[in-house]
Amino acid sequence: MLPNFKYVRPGSVEEAIDHLTSEGARVHAGGTDLLGCLRDNVFGALKVVSINALDDLRGIRQTPDRGVRIGALATITQVENHELINERYKGLAMGASEVASPQLRNQGTIGGNICQKPRCWYYRGEFHCIRKGGNLCYAFGGENQFHCIFGSDKKCCIVHPSDIAPALVAFDARVRVSGHKGDRLVPIEKFYVLPGEDVERETVLEAGEIVTEIILPPIIEGTRSSYRKVRARRSWDFALAGVALALVLKGGKVESGRVVLSGAAPVPWRSHTVEKVIIGQKLDSKTITRAAETAVHNAEPLAKNSYKIPLFKAIIEEELTKIAIG
Amino acid sequence: MKASDKPYYLRGIPVPETPAPGKELHPWKETHVIGKPLSRADAYQRVSGAAIFPSDTLLPDMLYGAILRCPYPNALVKSVDVSQAERLSGVRAVITGSTPGADLKWTYLQGSSTKLFDPHCRFEGETVAAVAAETPYQAWDAVQTISVQYQVLPYTVDERSAIEPGAPKVHQPGNRVGQPEKYQRGGVEKGFSEADVVLEQDYRTECELHTPLELHGCVAKWDGDQLTIWESTQGVYGVQSKVAQVLALPLSKVRVVGHYIGGGFGSKLQPGKYTVIAALLAKAAARPVKLFLSREETFLSCGNRPPSNMRLKAGVKKDGTLTALQFSVTGTGGAYPAGGVSLVDWLIRDLYTCPNVQTEAIDIFTHTGPARPFRAPGHPQGSWALEQMLDALAEKISMDPVELRLKNIPAFSQARDGNPKYTTTGLRECLETGAKTFGWREALQRVRESGRAGHIKRGVGMAACLWVAGGGGPPSTIIIKLFSDGSANLNMGASDIGTGTKTVMAMVLSEELGLDIDRIQIENADTGTTQYATPSGGSKTVPTEAPAVRAAAVHVKQQLLAMAAEDLKTQAANLIIKDGEIVAASDPSKKIKITDVAGLKKRGVLVGVGYRGPNPKNKVTNPFGAQFCEVLVNTRTGEVEVVRFVAAQDSGRVMNRLTYENQVIGGITMGIGLAMTEFRVLDKNETGKLCNKNWHDYKLPTALDVPSDIVSVPVELEDSEANSTGAKGLGEPVTIPTAAAIANAVYNATGIRVTTTPINPVQLSLLLSEAKIKG
Ligand SMILES: Cc1cc2nc3c(=O)[nH]c(=O)nc-3n(C[C@H](O)[C@H](O)[C@H](O)COP(=O)(O)OP(=O)(O)OC[C@H]3O[C@@H](n4cnc5c(N)ncnc54)[C@H](O)[C@@H]3O)c2cc1C
Ligand code: SF4
Repeated sequence: MLPNFKYVRPGSVEEAIDHLTSEGARVHAGGTDLLGCLRDNVFGALKVVSINALDDLRGIRQTPDRGVRIGALATITQVENHELINERYKGLAMGASEVASPQLRNQGTIGGNICQKPRCWYYRGEFHCIRKGGNLCYAFGGENQFHCIFGSDKKCCIVHPSDIAPALVAFDARVRVSGHKGDRLVPIEKFYVLPGEDVERETVLEAGEIVTEIILPPIIEGTRSSYRKVRARRSWDFALAGVALALVLKGGKVESGRVVLSGAAPVPWRSHTVEKVIIGQKLDSKTITRAAETAVHNAEPLAKNSYKIPLFKAIIEEELTKIAIG
Repeated sequence: MKASDKPYYLRGIPVPETPAPGKELHPWKETHVIGKPLSRADAYQRVSGAAIFPSDTLLPDMLYGAILRCPYPNALVKSVDVSQAERLSGVRAVITGSTPGADLKWTYLQGSSTKLFDPHCRFEGETVAAVAAETPYQAWDAVQTISVQYQVLPYTVDERSAIEPGAPKVHQPGNRVGQPEKYQRGGVEKGFSEADVVLEQDYRTECELHTPLELHGCVAKWDGDQLTIWESTQGVYGVQSKVAQVLALPLSKVRVVGHYIGGGFGSKLQPGKYTVIAALLAKAAARPVKLFLSREETFLSCGNRPPSNMRLKAGVKKDGTLTALQFSVTGTGGAYPAGGVSLVDWLIRDLYTCPNVQTEAIDIFTHTGPARPFRAPGHPQGSWALEQMLDALAEKISMDPVELRLKNIPAFSQARDGNPKYTTTGLRECLETGAKTFGWREALQRVRESGRAGHIKRGVGMAACLWVAGGGGPPSTIIIKLFSDGSANLNMGASDIGTGTKTVMAMVLSEELGLDIDRIQIENADTGTTQYATPSGGSKTVPTEAPAVRAAAVHVKQQLLAMAAEDLKTQAANLIIKDGEIVAASDPSKKIKITDVAGLKKRGVLVGVGYRGPNPKNKVTNPFGAQFCEVLVNTRTGEVEVVRFVAAQDSGRVMNRLTYENQVIGGITMGIGLAMTEFRVLDKNETGKLCNKNWHDYKLPTALDVPSDIVSVPVELEDSEANSTGAKGLGEPVTIPTAAAIANAVYNATGIRVTTTPINPVQLSLLLSEAKIKG
């Protein structure tokens, strides 16, 4: 059952920000994640601030420098189907297409997607764990088959649930954050917070701040990108393991690029180790095998998720091979 | 009605002969309505939303109920303080175990009893208190203000460790539910010594939760001392008797209505504590109360298919003769006796010819919600072990797995006393027809030829089954009223649980009276207006009710012909019914319209009563089946795609080709759930609580997990003994072999035996990588 809250639907970003600085206020975009959290009493709300009247936050368009700007209220379906995104940022379109189910993609927004709350079943259940202000992580000693193998900082072993954020990290997107003090552009890699820094928050958003848009830099020629996801069933399910690639290939070699894992860590997990192995190299089978091996080299599997080791190896190998073929 | 107004399947067609009163009915030689792919009699209501499901019920003045449940798997309720809840606005009633009249006994399925609000809560989700308020929100808010002091006790939620010394006891004597159930014929040691190949393997199936779309619950209303309950149930009479017993009311004072139900799958064969609680709240508030549970509550307290831990040892000769089967299973029905291992060993006992069989079933108490029957209780679990074992034996003796099964077709039921014969056994035909339709040999050959190349491997697999019940039987009482305009009312107690029961019964009446289905009105599933019926379950509703409907229709015809014989001044035995007219067989000019029969006009109605007759003596009626499937496996990630399924099912006569297909597709879908996606997760190390209690974390198969290519092949053997319609049950056998067939196909593709459900990338990616390391 939902808590008892006030509902407001401001007409401007400024107004929205005002509302959001009040105690217990929550942003409501598509509501697909928010309402679940409220119903399951993951957190409460005194005021629900709908941002759906903020038309400036809609739409996807090219920026003057040939990058792309995605409004926070663009639906995941819009991202999935947008021509420019499919043409240039294929990995992002693929990531969007792997989210949840068609209904959720129609209703869910990209802003909500990158700000969504963890899916750890303890967090979502009646367990007062560290992330909710308690003093115990139930997952470390409990049912952790869907938890992380990197970056837990021995505090909280959630995985970041988004399929879109890893692709955004791979493309080095920036997130525009608006608040009382004005706007700032945060590289999405810096948008997320590891448990070691602050276990009770997932993003750098401060009270009263909202995401208004996401900016993709212009695409570098020779970029090849993809997103691959493995789930426990074939739809309507989060990643057991996923990988977003955005690699610039020149003269048969990887010139630059990023490799980002989903289902791996409390944040979209950039695999610097894999990047190191492949950058400057031809994507031949030896390099690819080595890349896959190193990807999981320093992983710290828990009692029930060691399957993620072969799984990540498999998809990194599979995807790099596909990228190499073109 | 003009002949040309008739639907195509009735045009110009005589209805079956009418046996003389008292004569036994034999199955139809030829049918004109039965077997056709007719859409549902209530299709419009269901599709348009006009159908009122129990959860749609809205009564004037109705309140909403909510239940406070224990959050711990094992705890003593020390005190309950409801004072704050009682003061909240909108709250009209609050009850606990100490409320006068609420201190009631309750038994889960069988045996040992507890209380409606027992101070010792033995599973998470056990009832502690309940509230009725003006709105659901007020009720829930009020429940949350009830303050309870629990003494939290140690728990055991895993049956694998619950009988270890020192494990917390669910009940004082210990965690074993009675003595292990044992079965033996011949001597397995002798059998193993005769075998050329002996294999032994452990298997496990995970616990599955019932997930009917419509939640469990009811609306309860009192008129004086008369209680009416609208409940989402598979059987209104089961609800009536339990509620009457718990509340010490005569049956006549309890009316239960359940015209529609949004799925049950076995979990709604019985009422729940919620039913009685709704009645008590309604009484306390003197207002009707609607009490439907949340999904979380049903996951905790409304049953499951228990987990099973099985070991099977099997011996076979080189020529495919099975020599011995030795089986043991350990399971749990939860905190109260609820059949935690029931029927898991049945297929091992009875599916294949084998002289030496020994089984042992150990049921264990755990601090978990009591099990309820789940579509084909026990069978898919046993099949998971037996059918994978047969696959492995076949490989060891280099025999086609279909061939191995064909070698061991039983002529009679070996596990039943007196070894009765089956009225029909279509196992051989299912295997042969299924294999042919699937193209089994060719498919196997293709897999062999596709060989090593690529990491996406193709595999095919199959499994066979029987279902222990499915023959139906008495009691059933049906009343048919033929009105003076020739339309009719069909009155039966049984529920249509979504399987098409109403449609099939209307077709039987239509067949017998030559009556258009649109002219039949069905009144069912209401203890106030129909006659006693057993709950719809066990794949017995068609073979139980259809013969009784037929008998009632024949009873109407006999009376009608007797009346017409008076009008036409002839013998009833000379008359036949054709196109709405009664005609003398010898002299076609001697005829009268049904609506002109004087007796019918005068009386206004003809009432026919039909009973379900006894089953044949010394025979059993069981459905059989064989399923074949093809999968694609990504041997790096362990992702499995089920590409196609063929199901050849012997369920006797096909009553409606469409509802038949529905059952097959539904059964396979559910089997895919067991094989590939579903598992209950309990936090066994730290709290004993249920982790996956929503539809995202508890993973049902989605549309993408189920192939669009599912072919149902009816193996329609004539069964003249089973009952007067020749139909056997279908709803359960169709889900029995599915999971094992998938496991066998995955083995065929990868060489890996997945012995624990579910086959998903979590498990398979690890197994594949281990296999690669071993080489
Ligand atoms: C059953 C299910 C399965 C799912 N599967 C997947 C999956 O496979 N992959 C995947 O990536 N996602 C998945 N999701 C998550 C889904 O994509 C998100 O729920 C959705 O994207 C959220 O968007 P929304 O607009 O509905 O957000 P809301 O629910 O409105 O908001 C989500 C959160 O973000 C905050 N928020 C929203 N917009 C902003 C903003 N502009 N600025 C600041 N904060 C904001 C809200 O306060 C809230 O906390 C699944 C969700 C469900 C319910
Ligand atoms: S993993 Fe994080 S969210 Fe989950 S129980 Fe541990 S602390 Fe809580």
